[in-house]
Amino acid sequence: MAKEIFMPKLSSTMQVGTLLQWYKNEGDAVDVGEPLFEIMTDKINIEVESYEEGILLKKYFQEDDEVPINHVVGYIGEAGEKVPDSPPGESGAAKEQEDVSDSRQAQVEDLTEQGISETATEHISAGSQGEKTAAEKPRATPAARRVAREENIALSDVSGSGPNGRIQQNDVMEFATSTTSAKATPLAQKVAAAEGVDLQEIKGSGTNGKIYRADVENAKGPGPVPAASEDKRVKMDGIRKVVAQRMAQSKSTAPHVTLTTEVDMSDAISLRKQLLGPIEQLTGFRLSYTEIILKAVASSLKQHPNVNVSLEGNEIVYKTDINLGLAVAVDNGLMVPVMKQVDQKGLSSLTEESKRLGKAARDNKLAPEQMSGGTFTVSNLGMYAIDAFTPVINQPESAILGVGRIHEKPVGIDGAIELRPMMVLSLSFDHRVIDGAPAAAFLTALKETLEQPVKLLV
Amino acid sequence: MNSYEVVVLGGGPGGYVAAIRAAKLGKKVALIEARELGGTCLNRGCIPSKTLLRLAEVIETIEKAKSWGIETGDMTFSLSKMLGRKDAIIQQLRSGIAHLLKQGKIDVYNGVGNVQADGEITVQLAEKKEIIRGDKIILATGSRPLVPAIEGIEESAYFTSDTIFDIDKIPESMVIVGGGIIGVELACIFASLNVPVSIVEMNDRIVPSEEPEASKALSKSLKRKQITILTNTKVMKIEQHDGRQLVHVESDSGKAQTLDTEAMLMAVGRSPNTSAFNDLNLEMDGAFVKVNSAMQTSDPSIYAVGDVTGGWQLAHVASAEGVVAAANAAGETETVDYRMVPRCVYTSPEIASVGLTEADAKRQGIDYKVVRVDHAGNGRALAQDEKEGFTKLIASTKYGEILGVLMVGPHVTEMIAEPSAFIHLEGTVDELASMVHAHPTITESLYEAAASWIGKGVHH
Repeated sequence: MAKEIFMPKLSSTMQVGTLLQWYKNEGDAVDVGEPLFEIMTDKINIEVESYEEGILLKKYFQEDDEVPINHVVGYIGEAGEKVPDSPPGESGAAKEQEDVSDSRQAQVEDLTEQGISETATEHISAGSQGEKTAAEKPRATPAARRVAREENIALSDVSGSGPNGRIQQNDVMEFATSTTSAKATPLAQKVAAAEGVDLQEIKGSGTNGKIYRADVENAKGPGPVPAASEDKRVKMDGIRKVVAQRMAQSKSTAPHVTLTTEVDMSDAISLRKQLLGPIEQLTGFRLSYTEIILKAVASSLKQHPNVNVSLEGNEIVYKTDINLGLAVAVDNGLMVPVMKQVDQKGLSSLTEESKRLGKAARDNKLAPEQMSGGTFTVSNLGMYAIDAFTPVINQPESAILGVGRIHEKPVGIDGAIELRPMMVLSLSFDHRVIDGAPAAAFLTALKETLEQPVKLLV
Repeated sequence: MNSYEVVVLGGGPGGYVAAIRAAKLGKKVALIEARELGGTCLNRGCIPSKTLLRLAEVIETIEKAKSWGIETGDMTFSLSKMLGRKDAIIQQLRSGIAHLLKQGKIDVYNGVGNVQADGEITVQLAEKKEIIRGDKIILATGSRPLVPAIEGIEESAYFTSDTIFDIDKIPESMVIVGGGIIGVELACIFASLNVPVSIVEMNDRIVPSEEPEASKALSKSLKRKQITILTNTKVMKIEQHDGRQLVHVESDSGKAQTLDTEAMLMAVGRSPNTSAFNDLNLEMDGAFVKVNSAMQTSDPSIYAVGDVTGGWQLAHVASAEGVVAAANAAGETETVDYRMVPRCVYTSPEIASVGLTEADAKRQGIDYKVVRVDHAGNGRALAQDEKEGFTKLIASTKYGEILGVLMVGPHVTEMIAEPSAFIHLEGTVDELASMVHAHPTITESLYEAAASWIGKGVHH
């Protein structure tokens, strides 16, 4: 009998999931553990893997459709089996499972509350044991573990492409083929070796991604004669797609207003100089301006709680905690690890935390709880020749601070012109919930704190 | 008015293949063919010539067999039986194509098609005129034998490749004007039927499209078949005398002579058939339709493939281009990879080549190294008593990339698929030299060449 595929419920608050893309077409054979489709919840996008084997008989929803949880999105069964022509609605199977696995479900929900995403397979079959061993074992789907066992591959050698770096069956299979280097033609291998091009980095144009000489040469960069001006096209997926959707969502729902102010960083610089040695000794990490700014932001938010807010439905929620997100550039996108209760932390623990989270983000190893719960975000482009910019609010937060470079500028002081290390702060806020005056007051307080960091001691 | 997603003009190896591919991609397709399905290739080219060349091969083998100890009586030929066999083969293949088109639910219009400037296509059928439309049009109208403007040609009786395969009697003698692929293949056919043949070629060698050493080897073997080859020679005038043709020729050095012959074949080249779309004013490349790598003409909804676009004018190139044009017309993006296109001459010995010639490599400034292995020491060639011929391998010195292979010998047109596959899959001399080849075979010469190229040759 054909088996239902339904929209998994991944958290207690999840009501609908958006279908981002199907990996299979109707009529395709599906194996246990193979990714079937990708969905996006309010937090993150994940791949849902099949826990049945058979033929994908029916797809009721298309890309970008919103599907209520537990509703049937398709059927898997044997070729030729009859399935309803129109979506049958809520799945009986899903309900049953919910009842049976009540306690386990609760446990999963506990985690998902904090943003953990679960693939459907793990959700149903792995359950509680996954949690206990998570610390020692790389995160991997059961299908990936099975293939790794069969192919005798150490999961720790495989990098996962799933949510939070979870290793999926495909990752293991790709790893298996890549290590035998059978994916490039002999000529392409020779050219790559001679030109110092890494074959792993290249996408092959041949059958099953086989790499040809031309692919190696294209990867090497523009040759003497650029191949006819054809544009490279890359399907937007993974983080890129999430970033795109969230940015568009934020810009289209929240009326953004951006205020800027210039900060004299002389005292902040001398503070950093004084603390650099002690903090490095204590933590092994070097204090940077980012942490000083984070600390100053937390202190200013405490004085101006009307900026540390979030719009939920018709209500403005004044957040008790001051949890600061820090935008980190990663391959193919942007991640925002979150530091909790920054107002209660000292600069040394803040330094340690921000460095660790930054590295985890770049390595694609952030746990979901390390990315959720933010109440305000800081985006620092000070390492570039950027003075000011208009950052986009990271919803459901209501404000974001853009940090520019520190740059010596002539400043009038007591009737004389002096060179001072100046830095521009750009505050974007959601005008639906925050007005100009309180935002300006917050930014002024922040400027004063950074100009006289001794205020942090008050 | 019938409307189609893809309309193909021409039912030759470019057109019918394009039509079937487009249909397989789910398109509603029509095909217009003024004559018979299969085009020049099936009806007046590849297939009839190969059928008759098989006769030549057998006749030659019978003659050779005398020296092996096999004696037969005098051979007699039945031209009508020979041509009957040829016609039966053509008929079988033609109905095969008709069946495939029917299976693909392709509407076939048997009439002369004409594309109007507004994109509508008129088809002159036997009893009426019909107008159809196509969202995308693929021009596969092919080419026809070129008849040069020689004094007296209008009055003379001459054959072209369009008419020669239906010749009603074996002529006493034959002059072939043009020593290209068509000319030399037909020279072999008629020479095997004991017809004295003369080839008149303007160039300094026959099959000028191939490497000089291939021309040389073939030339030697044709002369042994009593074929007269006049190179650097032009036809000046043709006269009639008592039902015979007097062909006045003159060499570059000014030496003039008159060839007295019963039959004359014009094989100097082929010109594209463009009258079906003259109204479109497509951008041209000389006499041929100009196309981009997607086989698209200057009008993006119109594609062109095969002989009408010039290039190699080979059936399998037309088919490859047809497949690509059909895919692109159906919304995909494909291009033809010409690197691994084999080129075959079905004479005896055969000539087959793929990739670059030595001259090409030199012109492109590629550092290369050549190894040539003669078949004179090859066990199979000796056992077959076909030791004329050789295998030549051209590979880049930098990576050992196989740039080109030329083979001359028996059945090398079948063997060229191996180096073609190497080029297609980008294997290098190292892989070729470590691949086990069956013994005894002539393909061992390819292996010997590769092994020798990397300095590990055993027999060479």
